[in-house]
Amino acid sequence: MNIRNNPILRQKLAAEYALGTLRGGARRRFEGWLHQDADLRNTVAEWQQRLAPMAEFAGAVTPPKRVWTAIERRLDLNKPSARWQFWKNDNLAFWRSLGMVSTALTALLLVVVMRGPGTAPAESNYVATLTDDKTNTVMLVTADPRHHDMEIRLASNVAVQPGHSLHLWAVPKQGHPRSLGLIKAGRTVLPLTAQAIGADVAVLAVSLEPPGGSPDPNGPTGPVIYKGAWVQM
Amino acid sequence: MSTDVHSLDPQQLKIWLQAAGKRDAAAFRRLYDASSAKLFGFALRILHKRELAEEVLQESFVAIWNNAANYQSHLAAPMTWMATIVRNKAFDHLRRSNTAVEIDADQFDGEVMNALQDPQRTPIEALQLSGDAKALAWCMSALEGAHRQVVALAYYHDLSHSEVASQMKLPLGTVKTWIRRSLEKLRTCLARGEQA
Repeated sequence: MNIRNNPILRQKLAAEYALGTLRGGARRRFEGWLHQDADLRNTVAEWQQRLAPMAEFAGAVTPPKRVWTAIERRLDLNKPSARWQFWKNDNLAFWRSLGMVSTALTALLLVVVMRGPGTAPAESNYVATLTDDKTNTVMLVTADPRHHDMEIRLASNVAVQPGHSLHLWAVPKQGHPRSLGLIKAGRTVLPLTAQAIGADVAVLAVSLEPPGGSPDPNGPTGPVIYKGAWVQM
Repeated sequence: MSTDVHSLDPQQLKIWLQAAGKRDAAAFRRLYDASSAKLFGFALRILHKRELAEEVLQESFVAIWNNAANYQSHLAAPMTWMATIVRNKAFDHLRRSNTAVEIDADQFDGEVMNALQDPQRTPIEALQLSGDAKALAWCMSALEGAHRQVVALAYYHDLSHSEVASQMKLPLGTVKTWIRRSLEKLRTCLARGEQA
């Protein structure tokens, strides 16, 4: 059925969709049309806008304090953001849209290419491709759990400025970043600690530090210049 | 709460919501303070049980924080967007827990109900409603009582046409017609209000 040229039907279905009375097959069909029809999505949004104020007819009831306390705890809103908590200032949607999948695929291809044929990747490998602020890929990190090491390859056009060092961090979803070690130009091999590979690690990041690395063991003191999702293959 | 009406100003809510999208926890707190009583009242009216409503309110605000960056102000007013989240979470909860909610015919707050039936007696202006809700209240008060109830039943209790019919002990065709006509009347009435 084509509803594009039937404005009356479009209004009726959009209204019933927003109200909730459109059910079953009719609802699923309608949702299919919504995907390809921006104008129909607008019509639904208009109906939601018309009907949603009904929510206020229920009357206001002040919720108990514990509701906010629970929200605050769940979202960890109390802690002030430190400099290394760069993702808190970034749009979260950015991290989602970063596309774990495409990053992981790129990384996997690189792993296969670099290892050459015949060497099957070890089980539960972790990889990360780190990008700079212009989303150029500058670094590839692969973890090899069998040999307890991780290999870091810096793109050949990336130079480490004299008088500085590049410090690699594992950034967990909660708590402080953990130092993984310093990175040299070209190829670096670092020990793979249980910390680094922990399931709570979401992101790897590199900060620009004085020679010898960050003086603060709990996080970068310099700017974070590269970052990328840490993905289990 | 004398600040209530003022703080439900959509422009102000929008500023807080967009700031929350940029991870501004203080703005998020103000958004909560300004809107949580309305949204809790709404959740409570759908779910009837306080602890359930508290849980749904909590989940809703977690979702509001997590999705604030995707809020599109040209598609929905802030209260509309947030109320839609609360409504979906509340219905999800009911479906998951398979709880049957007692549906009362007396849908709304007594005061609002009076105003909808007879705006002369309880002026809609006196209620602490946002501008959008006032406009809708005016237009709903112009519907026939039973028609208004059918629309509200569907909205508040996630009922299909046939469920509304059995609830109201009306023929299915009648319910369908009433809902279609009521929605059409509301659209015309609200459009008139916008032009005025």
